[in-house]
Amino acid sequence: MVAVSPLLQRRLLSTGVTKTHHKPHQQWNIKQVKKSNFADTLEDIKSHVSNSDFVAVSLQNTGFYAAPWQRVSPFDTADTAYLKAKYAAERFQVLHFAVCPFTVRASKVTAYPYNFHLFPRAELKMEMPSYSFYCQTSSLISMARQGFDFNSCINDGISYLSREQESAAKIQIGNPILAKNVTESTSIHSIADSVFIERIKSHIKNWKKTCKETSTRKEDALVRSLRKLVLGNEEYDSRPCMNIDVCSERQAQLVVEMLQEFADDVVPLIIPAKGGATWAVRVVLTSSKEDKDLLQGKLQNDEQELLKKIRGFREVIDLISASQKPVVTHGSLNDLTFIHSKFIAPLPPTVDEFMCSLRLAFPLVIDVNNLMKEISPMRKVTNIPVAISQLKNRFFTPIDMEIPCQAMENEDTIHGQNVVKICELFAKLCSILKINPAAVQSDEEKQASALEAYANIFSPFCTASEEPINGDVKIWANNTRTVSCEDLVFLWGFGDRVTSGVLKGLLQESHEAFSKEFDVRLVDNSCAIVIFWRCGLSETFLNTMNKCSDMRGPLREMVSEGLRAAGYETYNRACRLGLWESRLADSLDRALADPDSASKADSKTKSSDICNEWIINLDDL
Amino acid sequence: MRKHQWLRTTLSRAYYCSFSSSFPLKHVTQSNFESAVADLKTHLKAADFVAIDLEMTGVASAPWRESLEFDRFDVKYLKVKDSAEKFAVVQFGVCPFRWDPLRLSFIAHPHNFYIFPRQEVPTDSSSCEFLCQTTSMDFLAKYHFDFNACIRQGVSYLSRWQEDEALRRLNLRYEDELSEQARDVPLFSITDILFSERMKNRLREWRDGLLKDTSGGSQLEGSFLNDSNQQFQNIFYKMRPALSLNGFTSHQRRLIQSVTKKHFKDLAFVRVEGESSCSQQLVVYTDSESDRDLLKKEVMDDYRRQAEMKIKAAIGFRHVIDLLSSEKKLIIGHNCFLDLAHVHSKFLGPLPLEAEEFVHSVNKCFPYIIDTKILLNTNNILKQRMNKSKTSLSSAFLSLCPQIAFASNESCNLTFSSSVKVEITSKKDFWGINVLMHLLGACFVFKSKFCSSKSQHKSSSWISGVKHEAGYDAFMTGCIFAQACNLLGIDFKLYSPSENLACNERLQKHANLLYLSWINGDIIDLSTGHRTAESLRCRDLKKWQTGILFENIVLIWGFPSDLKTAVIKDRISKVFGPTSVTSICRLDETAVFVQFSKSKLVADFLLVKETLDRSNDAFSVLHPLSTILEGGSTCAASYETYKDICSSPLSKVLFADQAQAVGIRWKTKLVERKEEIEIEEQDNFREENAANTISVYVEQN
Repeated sequence: MVAVSPLLQRRLLSTGVTKTHHKPHQQWNIKQVKKSNFADTLEDIKSHVSNSDFVAVSLQNTGFYAAPWQRVSPFDTADTAYLKAKYAAERFQVLHFAVCPFTVRASKVTAYPYNFHLFPRAELKMEMPSYSFYCQTSSLISMARQGFDFNSCINDGISYLSREQESAAKIQIGNPILAKNVTESTSIHSIADSVFIERIKSHIKNWKKTCKETSTRKEDALVRSLRKLVLGNEEYDSRPCMNIDVCSERQAQLVVEMLQEFADDVVPLIIPAKGGATWAVRVVLTSSKEDKDLLQGKLQNDEQELLKKIRGFREVIDLISASQKPVVTHGSLNDLTFIHSKFIAPLPPTVDEFMCSLRLAFPLVIDVNNLMKEISPMRKVTNIPVAISQLKNRFFTPIDMEIPCQAMENEDTIHGQNVVKICELFAKLCSILKINPAAVQSDEEKQASALEAYANIFSPFCTASEEPINGDVKIWANNTRTVSCEDLVFLWGFGDRVTSGVLKGLLQESHEAFSKEFDVRLVDNSCAIVIFWRCGLSETFLNTMNKCSDMRGPLREMVSEGLRAAGYETYNRACRLGLWESRLADSLDRALADPDSASKADSKTKSSDICNEWIINLDDL
Repeated sequence: MRKHQWLRTTLSRAYYCSFSSSFPLKHVTQSNFESAVADLKTHLKAADFVAIDLEMTGVASAPWRESLEFDRFDVKYLKVKDSAEKFAVVQFGVCPFRWDPLRLSFIAHPHNFYIFPRQEVPTDSSSCEFLCQTTSMDFLAKYHFDFNACIRQGVSYLSRWQEDEALRRLNLRYEDELSEQARDVPLFSITDILFSERMKNRLREWRDGLLKDTSGGSQLEGSFLNDSNQQFQNIFYKMRPALSLNGFTSHQRRLIQSVTKKHFKDLAFVRVEGESSCSQQLVVYTDSESDRDLLKKEVMDDYRRQAEMKIKAAIGFRHVIDLLSSEKKLIIGHNCFLDLAHVHSKFLGPLPLEAEEFVHSVNKCFPYIIDTKILLNTNNILKQRMNKSKTSLSSAFLSLCPQIAFASNESCNLTFSSSVKVEITSKKDFWGINVLMHLLGACFVFKSKFCSSKSQHKSSSWISGVKHEAGYDAFMTGCIFAQACNLLGIDFKLYSPSENLACNERLQKHANLLYLSWINGDIIDLSTGHRTAESLRCRDLKKWQTGILFENIVLIWGFPSDLKTAVIKDRISKVFGPTSVTSICRLDETAVFVQFSKSKLVADFLLVKETLDRSNDAFSVLHPLSTILEGGSTCAASYETYKDICSSPLSKVLFADQAQAVGIRWKTKLVERKEEIEIEEQDNFREENAANTISVYVEQN
């Protein structure tokens, strides 16, 4: 890495020069959105999203992983990668969310970047959206280095609630909700139902009558208030009202349905109980049709206001989701798990459920990484500017970035440029790959599907197409080889001073399984992964490890010093059960100790179905 | 009280007008740390006592980990331990106080350190992250805490344990590196072989050039520096000619290293730590084999020294703690058990599992600690003086200290004789505390720590937009202590600086006592590790008399979340009798503590619950407890399980989720009815209503 850096620096320098040519400041103006100007911005971004073809998003979190082994590695399957991302998303917090609706026309990109500063403030005093969150010191420091303003984030960050939290909050607030009009009559009424309805109906009729009578009577204010006191009549928003207790959802529905008879001047409100069910129906009597409309309008307005306050930043997520525009990201697994857990609902336990749930909100998610892999399959994009300069060196793809000025000119923000660079990179990649991004809008099926081929792939180390690509082996063979999960063995308990080379040397002499080609890599300083390039040998080795009698010589010695081994399934189980110890060795120990491991045989057959062949990039290990 | 209010408003106005910028509180960040510590060192050495206070990123990692009435002492310690391990300290206030016999007043030097765990030396992964409680962060923000200063400029630190660990690792690496020199890189591919061969030729060329032209070095530069990629560069290293290698991959460097080793007896491959953290690889020409070994050793030692220096530099803020500890000064804190736990875990080492062990370890490091909260609540003179007002830092400060000002400013004769003067030094002038204390009283009514009790949050929310720092809080604590000493009749005029204040007969019996739990009045003695319950506190007489017997407690969780506490009590009473439940305490929406009148009922309850879980007939549906068991995931166990769950490093927001995450798979944990007679006796002694238990249950069904 050190060796490459001068080269890269030179390249970066050259791109910097060209950029200065285009744009005097070399930096784009990005609108900074905080609590104070959030409401004003919402309308702008709404129109920009609906007028754009794509929406690029980029998140800055308080951390990525709690321990070295918990970051997503090349040897992770889609399942374990998801579980790791899930753990991180639940643990850490999004402090900065950049959204950039953009359109690509030929070589011109029109982008409207926004930087939202978020903070999970408990606006409603309900321990929502989050009671606490973790911070990885290195993440905070690197954010600070980029010029992120933590004071303004914590003081003036926008709060939010996820969709699921919102419904929970609504119940807790317990405000009466305007009953929705029942369009369809419910099925046949039983006798009990009819009796109930008739009873309520007559009750309401009487009540209405008395209300009307008293209101027409010219009365002294004192008398009126006395009457109110004596009769115990309630008022809602200075209109007479009455509560009808109901025992079930069905009864509530029946009451609302029945009340349509009185639709001229009666407004039914649902009063929710704590568990989410209906507790009572409140009937409010209005004086006229106009008054009724007024009340309904006011109620709707109040609800909207409250919801706006509750949802906070989620409005933005909702409007991106509602627009159904393709979402462009870099590192989609990480970003989308965060988005799902913070703004939609808690993350489901498996990757398949996650994909289903996510697809409902965002039908098309494109990771620039997947497009990039098509061009240089060996490299994982860790850094957008580097990727852009790499492309610049190999291809001639001038992209004209146009950012209609929307921010204060003098606002000096170093951070948050990433999202614009994602747009630029995406446009470049599309032009290199001969994909017309405009086609997404125009329903040209052929073109649209070209992009879709790269969409919704969430395992960071998988290629665009699901199967291993046979035709490409020639180019890739230099340093990628695929291996099945079956041929991997985790080894730990060898002390924390051993390098992979030393360990390999030790193993070579210990067992015949190591007589053929194999590789050893350290996952963290407590655990190593052994790759058997010849199938079947892993099983031989694991069998030996399980049987004391078969062990001889150095291996026996190592085992007596604490060496342990387990197959990929144990690793999988550790992730599945959430045994996120800071050392992988401890997690694997716990996974082996878990009572579920008794049913090893069943899970093993299952796992071989799940685990596809995957690509292991030795450089990344 | 009215008077206070008036004073507060007028003075706070005054504060904002003129004093806010010139308040002599010293803020310390990375940039002025060295000089500040040097200053502080002299102040500390001269100090009679040192007040400290901490600001953290949070207090409880989950709602059910907040301080509860039903905390047994060991559970309470586990909660404190969990808090200290998870949250970070962001500000550390240190305020040395020195009695000045000439001025007849205390001189205070409040320091406010911004600290941040910066990871300057790689340590264990547990310290690379910390937890933030949203409400606490919000609270800090409300008091204008400067997060940017903390994260960008905060002073880093390394605990003693981390330092030892880092040094140990360094030594291991040093040994490894010495032995690893012998390791060979096997040549796998053709490219490797070709590359090695090319490098061999190059190096030979260079060495031969050196040997040939020992007289004139200019020629050799011509031959070698024209390298197109500038991969080799001629330099001198430790008085020897050397080649610096640039632009090679790590694999290539390893190959060069192996070539050097294999084919050149007089060349040495060394890695040098550059000035800007990136390392530099060199091939150095040496005269002989012994010279080469010498060079290698020199390089290794350099490397080691550099690494050691880096570790020493990373100690950072711990220097202040080490100073406090080595000076053996009297430390003053206000309700500072949690503070000390933080100090232990951040600057000494991992917290021990047992409170006694922790206390012993703290005592070894800080032999004299006095807690002002203990002082105010346990000393009769001070209790009288406080007249049952609140003893939170801010209110104690208000009620103890402004009186001084009353006396002097308005020449009122109320408590004139009993006041003690405190002055703060700034570089230019001395501030009379008479003015200052009022300013502080007006501006810092709130205690720094976020007491987990919600009522406190509410009661204090009326002051906002006021600066609020650990340094001020430390200062207030020290002022309270000075005033308290004065009230106890310690005459500082007769006091000699050599005397240790903590050994004063009037203070001695309060020294080294801390509230383990303020709610329960559990006090722990730091020097002995003994626990005592505070005897004379009538804060909540009713509850106090009832007492909490932990063996009578059942923990129930996982029931439907909308189940009301009253309903739970009602259902259990229906089965075990109207007097069977003495109290009930909600942990969160998913869990509840039920205290029975007898420990026997705990076993009975668990047994009944287990039977109901297993049977599925109509009879069990009609059972009163079925409401609690609805949903089929209700679990119950004795108090011990709560301790087990608290000791887990995990922290889920809901207790039911936590229990699951901890790995509890059973639904009921039965307890044996052990030593029934003994308990029975105890019950009789306590004259509890020991009537209808099982009989009621039978009747009901």
